[in-house]
Amino acid sequence: MFLTFALIGFSQGESPGRLSDSLNLKASYNSSLIYPGARLGVEYSVKSFNVVKTKKSGKERNFDKERFVSANLGWYHHPYFHDNFYLAAGWTMRRTKSSGFFTEFSPEIGLSRTFLGGTTYKVNDNGTVSIKKFAGYYYALLSVGGGVGYDFSKIKHKPYMLFYKFNLLSMYPYNNTIYLRPAMEIGLIYKLSHFHISKPKA
Amino acid sequence: MQSQTVFVLLILLLVSCQKEKITIGTNVSETFYLDNAGASMRILVEGNTASHAFLVIVHGGPGEGSIVYDTDYITQHIENKYAVAFWDQRDAGASQGNSNGNNLNLPQMTDDLKKVIELIKYRYGQESSIFILGHSFGGLLTSSFMTTDQNQSMIKGWIMVDGSQNYPLNDTLTRQMLLRVGQEQIALNKHINDWNSIIDFCTAHTGNFTLAESNQLETNAEYAESYMDEVNQFNLITAMEAVSINDDLPLTSILFNYLYSENAGFNATLAKTQFSSLLYKIVTPTLLLYGKYDFICPKELGDEVISKISTTDKRMVISPVSGHNFMFQDPVLFCLEVDNFIEKYR
Repeated sequence: MFLTFALIGFSQGESPGRLSDSLNLKASYNSSLIYPGARLGVEYSVKSFNVVKTKKSGKERNFDKERFVSANLGWYHHPYFHDNFYLAAGWTMRRTKSSGFFTEFSPEIGLSRTFLGGTTYKVNDNGTVSIKKFAGYYYALLSVGGGVGYDFSKIKHKPYMLFYKFNLLSMYPYNNTIYLRPAMEIGLIYKLSHFHISKPKA
Repeated sequence: MQSQTVFVLLILLLVSCQKEKITIGTNVSETFYLDNAGASMRILVEGNTASHAFLVIVHGGPGEGSIVYDTDYITQHIENKYAVAFWDQRDAGASQGNSNGNNLNLPQMTDDLKKVIELIKYRYGQESSIFILGHSFGGLLTSSFMTTDQNQSMIKGWIMVDGSQNYPLNDTLTRQMLLRVGQEQIALNKHINDWNSIIDFCTAHTGNFTLAESNQLETNAEYAESYMDEVNQFNLITAMEAVSINDDLPLTSILFNYLYSENAGFNATLAKTQFSSLLYKIVTPTLLLYGKYDFICPKELGDEVISKISTTDKRMVISPVSGHNFMFQDPVLFCLEVDNFIEKYR
């Protein structure tokens, strides 16, 4: 659903010179420092172009720039604190060298639902105790992340990429203020379709 | 089929995390939450629940969180005999919620404490003996609890550690102590410039303190304690590092909760709050522990409590090497006194 909305939004501003069309699947281990988690997502290429820059020495530098809209479902487990599931739509900017190494940056916006890390009770004014099931909270979520990786399609012609990414999640309103959480991803991106047509841009 | 399996696994994970588990044993560690008025407050129970004697820690701040009190020494010398409940108050520690700022006030927190005690009794047995220990701001909160309705009948004993039952009086006593000790230290050629700065502030601000003046007095009191050679100095950051990984602490939650609570609007109300006039209601056994060099909550606050409460079961102990953190600065004396008190009145 997030991806659909994102695609509708971005397609209106799509440039006529779009050169590629690809859909990627992402899966990663999503560790919040020492705590485990996972992340699954899809990213859809909305803009892609090849850039050739000529240095003063006459040597050419060649790299691809890609822009994706993405939808991701993340989860992490912090024992005795909470489990957090979050769905986020994002905009990914990726720059890939001809060697296959790439860097990327992506802001995301979404919704988080936590589940408290322990039995949660309610006590009424008469002292009667009851258990509150699936106790937790909804938060608005903003995330920014940057990472590095290697695209195996460039040289080895394999349809996948490996990546490492650092994300900073912020959730609001968390007890009237915000909650910040660093998260590190190590994962794989699989290119479902990778019919990349590139046209050099001076 | 695979997506159904993943969904079922996730549901099982959540159910297992929130499944009720109550352990009666000698070396227990379990976490549960109290949901009340927009806040889900974490309670960590550790130690000997088989003793059916529970010490509920009411931390300072407001907003400091309870986990820092879970020291190795307390684990070895209190939790081996009794259970200790580390309660994170609303908007503190690992407690969670959305926009619940309207409920951050002393009457609501008093109700929270009452429900924490009811919950502990529900989980571990109505016959459980409950003792409450209020440190610093926790002294004000437990004073509120003890003087409200019939709350004190729920517990076997009240322990106040470097606590305050009267914030305006607290400010006056802090100022007096800073002036007196400051002049003594200057006469001894110790930290002359630092003390002169504190004395100048105290001379310029003589009473009827604003919240800003009250906060500055507290800051001066913290500095003053650090200038005293007689004090076993305590470092909060070092203490946090010691417990952070072992106790799965959500560090950013602790930090942002603290920053919010410390600056929340209700601090202005707290600055004018006092329970001195209601102390006569207290008939429950009471133990008061104060540091000789506590400038933040001077021991004269304890003198007032001792003189005004109605119980004859009362005792006040002064640590000669402590400032505002008796339990960390003089842990041997702290555990000895708390142990004797619980054993006597459980």
